[in-house]
Formats: sequence, structure tokens, C-alpha cells
Amino acid sequence: MNYSAATVLLRPLHTFCIVICVGFIAMGTALQAADAVVVELMPSPAAINSSLSRVITDSKGQVYLSWVTREDELATLRYSKFDGDSWTDPAVISSGDNWFNNWADFPSLLVNDDNMAAHWLSMSAEGNYDYDIKVAFYSSRNDSWGKGITIHKDGISAEHGFVSMLPMSEGRTFISWLDGRETAGGGDHVTGARADPGMSGAMTLRAGIFDSAGATVGEWELDHRVCDCCQTSAAMSATGPLVVYRDRSEAEIRDIYITRYANGAWTEPMPIHNDGWEIAGCPVNGPAIAARGEQVAVSWFTAKDDAPLVQLVVSTDNGKSFSAPVLVASQTTNGRVGTTILESGEIAVSWMHTEGPDAKIMLTRFGAEGNLLETTQIANSQASRRSGFPIIDSVGNDVYVTWTDVSGAAQVKVARVIYSSSKGE
Amino acid sequence: MMRLNTIQALSAGFWVSNRINKLKIVHSMIVAAGLVGLALAATQLRDSQAAQLSPQNQAKWLIVNYWSEWCAPCRVEIPVLNALNETLSPTNVTIVGVNFDEDPREITLSIAADMGIEFPTLTMDVVAELELRAPDVLPTTYILSPGREVVAKMIGAQTQESLLAQLAILNLPVEKD
Repeated sequence: MNYSAATVLLRPLHTFCIVICVGFIAMGTALQAADAVVVELMPSPAAINSSLSRVITDSKGQVYLSWVTREDELATLRYSKFDGDSWTDPAVISSGDNWFNNWADFPSLLVNDDNMAAHWLSMSAEGNYDYDIKVAFYSSRNDSWGKGITIHKDGISAEHGFVSMLPMSEGRTFISWLDGRETAGGGDHVTGARADPGMSGAMTLRAGIFDSAGATVGEWELDHRVCDCCQTSAAMSATGPLVVYRDRSEAEIRDIYITRYANGAWTEPMPIHNDGWEIAGCPVNGPAIAARGEQVAVSWFTAKDDAPLVQLVVSTDNGKSFSAPVLVASQTTNGRVGTTILESGEIAVSWMHTEGPDAKIMLTRFGAEGNLLETTQIANSQASRRSGFPIIDSVGNDVYVTWTDVSGAAQVKVARVIYSSSKGE
Repeated sequence: MMRLNTIQALSAGFWVSNRINKLKIVHSMIVAAGLVGLALAATQLRDSQAAQLSPQNQAKWLIVNYWSEWCAPCRVEIPVLNALNETLSPTNVTIVGVNFDEDPREITLSIAADMGIEFPTLTMDVVAELELRAPDVLPTTYILSPGREVVAKMIGAQTQESLLAQLAILNLPVEKD
């Protein structure tokens, strides 16, 4: 799905266009001549009182949007597909009155050719803060969603969440998640002290591969001590799945680590950069990874010495090694990053620019090597947690962005960012 | 979440129950509704106490603790803050909490009760008046002077010792147990 700027301008959607070639550069970085960038606010298929949205694309270049609505205690996960001109009627994936919905940890949708998978979090009976990961799989043969399956088989009432999903061959789904099974039974979240000799006491990172019916094909513990409350992110490189997450060392250094599935095994986790951010707490700000062939890009938030930064690193060898960090934003940011790689090889990073209670959703485009091209404001927002995490994905050289507008009644919004000329052509 | 006050709840319950008192099951349900009203009224009382704690109108040092229900270190820290709050009650220092998630007020108070928080939780309006930058990490605890200047920012779960040490650095009159 490629649109030239001229074609796009003829579309009826452009009544809603907020256009502007901005060249907004944050934090004193040099202004560069930018090609035309069009930010097109699309009609939203999500009604008022919607939130927790994600935009995803599939291998055919089709765009999907998922979101959650709430009526009293009942939460419902819906999705819609963009057919090029409009969104399909929203379809219900699942609903429940015992979901754990959190502004940072919320449901997702995955499309894998004719198969789909969706996840949500369901409170477990035993503990106030304990919840399980439920995944439902869509059967194209029956044109229906199956019942939610608990993907982790520990049977322990604890925190499980921060899911990332990837499509795999043969209709399989790769899923990574944070798993609190080792924290159950009195483990000390602050010190990570073990509850009993068999448990680490800390949050773990796990991953599994599941067939189209939800049966476990394989499952692994990727790291036995990670940050409790940051999103995981996964991408498929030329050599296999990559997972990035916020680690937690014994000294409470919480930097971003990567592990790769290569030659039938997971590599020893390694830092993408040694920030040295020491905190005995929850940043609630996970990294975002994207891959295209052997190219890999990771953006993340850090705040060593209470100095907020968003940074980007690039790999050209499937995540084995990374460039030095490139500054995306500093000082006036609270992170909440997203990363996508365009067809051109350029990289787009979304982040939040904050000014007191106000915020702006920003998108910065970099060259394939990480050279800054320009920064564009996507929408006004609020630093409030209710505005959630903006999510991005791309088709061709167009970036799709979704967020929750909380200026009035909450409503999911979606925009398309069209880079009319890439690589500075 | 519906909000009722005590009189409304009980009046409604007894008015209806007088008319249908032959139906014992329904009667029981209505009495139960009255009790729910009482509970909600108690919640409102806590809310009222918190709302009155307008920092602009108090010549007190404030310890402002940002918490969230899903933040495990926050939950661990709550008993420490509860105990310190009691210790500080005769002093010119008071502890208040902020729900980082900005849930609606009724939900915030319900969560605070579930977490065992015994110090007041600020309304979002009052939080806005403080003009604090929302923290990047939970839990985060600020200490504000009576003039509402941030004089200390403590990131991560605190112990009673770390909090008392910080107060001592600020020369605030707190006696250790």
C-alpha cells in the first residue's frame, strides 16, 4: 500500500488532514530540510469511551486496529481492518468482567495470513494483583474466535503480562511475556529475595511458540530476573525472533537487554547499551524493537540521574551488535516509545514530548544508519497516564499511529504519516 | 461507581421497605442496600478529608508519595509510610499519596483502601495545583516545603530509615522510634 502525496491529497479522507511539514526538532538538534511529511488524521472505527488501542500490519500490507471499550465492569476487545478507503465494521474478539486492563499493559492482536491471535489479561481468583494471560485464536475455517487459553502452564496465581506476539510459519505464534511465577508465595519484589529455595523471587521473562489451536510447541525462560513493570517487545529478524526488555541486575541496574533465538537456542541476554540506570522501582517504560531482514532498530527510554532520554540503536547483523546510541529526545519527554522500519530502510520512532500536564505525540524519522531526518508532531496529547502508549506500525513508507485522545471522553484515534520522499530524494 | 450519601441511602431503603415489608427477601436486599450506602458514605468521608487537604492552604511540609496498585515496590512501601504517617502526626510534616494511574476518584479510594493506605490520597485537582512532574519511576516520593517547593525527590521504594534520614537532612523535627 503505497500512496504518493498527490494521490493521497485527492482522497476524501483529507478533509481531516492536519498537514504539515514540520521540521520540529526537539532539544536543540539542528533543523534539517525535510521532505514533505503529511500527517493525515483518519476516521476512527472506535467509538467514544474506547482506549488501549494498537495498530498492526500483516505480511500483505493490510492495516488492523484493535481497542478496548468498557461498560461498567465489562471490557470488550474489538478490531477493524482498513481496506484502503475505510475501516470494516468493528468485530468483537472477546469480552469479560474480570479483565486486568492497565494503561501500560493491555490487549493485542496479531494477524498471520489467514490466522489471527489476540491476547488479554484475566484476573485470577486468588490474589488482588494476580492475573493470567489469555490468548484466543481465530479460525478462518469457522470464521470465529476460540475461547481464551491460558498460555503459561505454571498454574500459579501471580502477575503475568506485558505480552509481545509475532507471526511464525505454519500458522504458529511466538509470544513473549513477563511471568511472576517466581514471585509467588512471599517473594520480595523490592529485594528480589526468594520466597523459598526453589524460587528466584523476581519477575522472569518467558517465551513460547504456540500452534494455531494454542497448543504449546516450545517454551523457554529467557531471563530469570527482569524489571517487573515494563513492556517486552519482539521482532522477527532474518535469523529468528528477537526479544528486548528491561533487565534488573542484582545492583538494580535496569537497562535494556536483548536475547536472540539462533541455531535452536536463545543467546545469553546482552545489553543494547550500558545506560547504568539504577532504580529500585518501576519505570513503566519498555523498549520497542523493529526488524527488516538483517536490519534491527531499538528505541528506549532511560533516566539515569533523573535525566530523561529517548535513544535509538541500529543493528545490521540481526541484533548481534548495535551502533552507538542516537539521541531521539531529552529532558521534556516521558518516553512511551514505538519503533518501525520503513520499506526504504529508514526508521521511525514515536515518543512523547511533555510540557507539564500537556504532551505531544512525536514521530522522528532516521536514515537506515540512524542519521536524523526530521521530527514531526502527530497530535496533541496529555502526559496523563490515561492517554496511554501511542503505538506505531508501517506499510511501505507510511507510518500508522494510534493513541487515545483524552481531551474529552476517551476515544481511540488513528493517523497515517506519509513520507512523500524517502532517503532525501 | 454510584455515589450515595448516608441519608439518601437509608431513606430510600426504609421508604421502599415499609411498602413491601411482607416480602422478606426483598426487605433484606433493601437493608443490605442501606448498608452499602453507609459504606459508600464512609468512602465519601475519606474523600472529603482528602479533598480538604488542599496543600495551598496548609502550612505543612508534605511528603508526596506516588503509588500504583500494580507497582509491587509501592505495595511493599505502604506499611512503612503508614507507620511514618502516625509518627509524624504531631509534627509539621504530613504524608499524602497520589494514584499514579489517575483513576476516577471512587476507584482511587477503593484501590487505596485495598492497598491498606492509611494516609490521605490527593484529588487530581490538588495534584495539579502542586505542579509536580509526574515521576518516571514508581514509587517516587517528593518532599515539598510549606511554600510547595520540591526539596527532595526519592526514587524507588523507601525504608523508614531512608525517609527519616532525608527528613533529618532537611532539619525537620522528627524523633526516631
